[in-house]
Amino acid sequence: MKFINLLKKELSELINLQMILGLVVAMGIFMILGSIMDTTIDEAKEETTNVTIRLCDRDDTEYTQELIKSIKEDGNNVRLFDTDGDDYAAILKDNDIKDLIIIPEGFTAALESSKRPELITVSRMTSAATLSNLNVGTSSGLALIKDRIAADVAQKNGMSEQDYAIVENPVVVRDNTVVDDKSAEISPSDIMSKIAIQNAVMPIVVFVLIIMTSQMLMSAVANEKTDKTLETLLSAPVSRGAVIGAKMLAAAIIALINAGVYMFGFSFFVSGATDTVTEAAENLIASTMSVDEAINKLGLSLGGFDYFLIGLQLFFTIMICLSVSLILGALVNDTKNTQSMIMPIMMLAMVPYMISILADINALPGVLRYAVYAIPFTHTFMAIPNLMFGNRLIFFAGLIYQIIVFIVCIFFALRIFMSDKIFTIRLNFGQKSKYKARKRRQQKAEEQKK
Amino acid sequence: MSNVLEVKELTKQYSKVLAADKVSFTIGEGEIFALIGPNGAGKTTTIRMISTLLTPTDGDAVVAGHSIIKEPAKVRECITYLPDEAGAYKNMTGLKYLRFMAGLFLSDIDALNAAVDRAKEICGLGDRLEDKIGSYSRGMIRKLLLARAVMTKPKLAILDEPTSGLDVINAIEIRKTIKTLAEKEKMSFLLSSHNMLEIEFVSDRVGIITGGHLMVTGSADELKERYNAKNLEEVFERVVIENEVH
Ligand SMILES: Nc1ncnc2c1ncn2[C@@H]1O[C@H](COP(=O)(O)OP(=O)(O)O)[C@@H](O)[C@H]1O
Ligand SMILES: [Mg+2]
Repeated sequence: MKFINLLKKELSELINLQMILGLVVAMGIFMILGSIMDTTIDEAKEETTNVTIRLCDRDDTEYTQELIKSIKEDGNNVRLFDTDGDDYAAILKDNDIKDLIIIPEGFTAALESSKRPELITVSRMTSAATLSNLNVGTSSGLALIKDRIAADVAQKNGMSEQDYAIVENPVVVRDNTVVDDKSAEISPSDIMSKIAIQNAVMPIVVFVLIIMTSQMLMSAVANEKTDKTLETLLSAPVSRGAVIGAKMLAAAIIALINAGVYMFGFSFFVSGATDTVTEAAENLIASTMSVDEAINKLGLSLGGFDYFLIGLQLFFTIMICLSVSLILGALVNDTKNTQSMIMPIMMLAMVPYMISILADINALPGVLRYAVYAIPFTHTFMAIPNLMFGNRLIFFAGLIYQIIVFIVCIFFALRIFMSDKIFTIRLNFGQKSKYKARKRRQQKAEEQKK
Repeated sequence: MSNVLEVKELTKQYSKVLAADKVSFTIGEGEIFALIGPNGAGKTTTIRMISTLLTPTDGDAVVAGHSIIKEPAKVRECITYLPDEAGAYKNMTGLKYLRFMAGLFLSDIDALNAAVDRAKEICGLGDRLEDKIGSYSRGMIRKLLLARAVMTKPKLAILDEPTSGLDVINAIEIRKTIKTLAEKEKMSFLLSSHNMLEIEFVSDRVGIITGGHLMVTGSADELKERYNAKNLEEVFERVVIENEVH
């Protein structure tokens, strides 16, 4: 009953306009990013399925006319432009197009005298974004023209159709990927394109969770300390355990809600991207096996027990955050310090987060690897890859290490909170303590009195 | 007369400072006792020990028959404590704060409502109780917290510097409230103040503390007569000089 009363108060302290606004904004950003992602990919897809080849035939011989006609007859969408000069910017602008292939004068003549003929391409670049510069018209137009010319040359020299097919595409590549002791007929890059985006979600959610939980509990404790409401609370007939428990539970609940929203928003954001990317990949390798099948075959998919283990590790991660922030919050004597007090946790989360994005922690050189392993949060960031790639030993060692860290931290946290240390402990970063200053003032005052 | 509080040689040694040195005094039922002394004298330290927040290095105090060392949970049921310069949860309304605090002391809903009604009357904040505490002035917060401290009718209300930092009007109102409650409802109070002049008007007995030593206790009139002084400030001065001579 009293605990519920405390918990309700802690929750209502945490749920304020600022927090809700933050969530809404985060959600909105994810939604917007998601739909941008969707439309750019759709546009790119549109361009691949509905290619327009823009051509300008300046040679205008029988051969080039025939060439263009045969490309058209194969069902390609060809638009012809009449241009001259080499002010390409003006040409694109005047015709209101993004790209153009120019067959220059002397093209046929070069071919006839067994020289390599030239083709000129013009493409407009509007930004550094990869997708928006995708220029399928030019590349497929070039491919078609090259194809035709190669076939003509082969025919002229009496090469058989089979031989020409080999020249055109000399080998058939069969990709195989091996994970642990399993293998599947698929290229590693196809698998990466599927799991990379999925695996990007977890670290972000973990990071948000760690920072939010710690920040909330720390300022909850620090504010109560500096406002002296903590003294009031602890002199009331409630157990200190209930006061601390309510604070920890409230911070954990709110952090989980936040993490859930982020997870939802972020997966919404990536789902569009993953779907279309893998769709494209699946089309290419339809003859062998689907990406999902391959992932299953390689043992890269996570089962129910794996998710349970990930959840367990997340739980202990939160518990570590809570106990560490109890200690840090107790050390705050001045609200101004609260912000800097989050730094230790920030660093502990930031380092493994960054490294896990950039490198395989398990493959780091000796000392550095153990230094990173010593950061408890590292094991949370590594949880999914470790379970995916069968590094169960490292996973369980990490989990046990986290449990030990938690026990040590909560031991010290409770020692502070259950004794009067919560009111007497203080960190002075070099500055003179308030009490000393006050005492000196008082001594001075007394000297003056005499 | 039974004593609500008996302090026996209470001592607190911080890592460097001996903040309270064998402090002993008693408070009877319906009595207002004030610890007076300059800043850093050891008032807050003594009060925090009695409120079970700090563990004494030595000595004991008995509140309504319960030792602060052996039965701190029982002690907390008999006292309320108002820290000096205390704040309240800024995002709560005054009313919500009162209900929250009452809920920590009382489980029975009728008793809880009665306590809140009592606090509403005592604090005199009227409709402002519906506003967030963040919008209150210092005086309003102090009145709210005082009402909170007395609404559950504790055997002993402990108020650290209840009037410090307030303007004269607010200080007078607070003093009046304390005096009325002691007279009409036989509540006992332990106050502290570094303002030796104003405390004379509110307390039945005072104890003069400096450097962790409780020098003398007695009613203001007694002490003034004993030290042949016009007011408590002069008493304090003479007490300090007398002790230096020894
Ligand atoms: N947490 C603490 N750690 C160390 N010394 C303290 C602490 N709190 C108070 N003191 C010292 O104890 C003495 C008494 O302080 P305090 O009880 O706050 O005095 P008062 O309330 O009478 O102003 C002072 O000298 C002060 O510096
Ligand atoms: Mg004080």
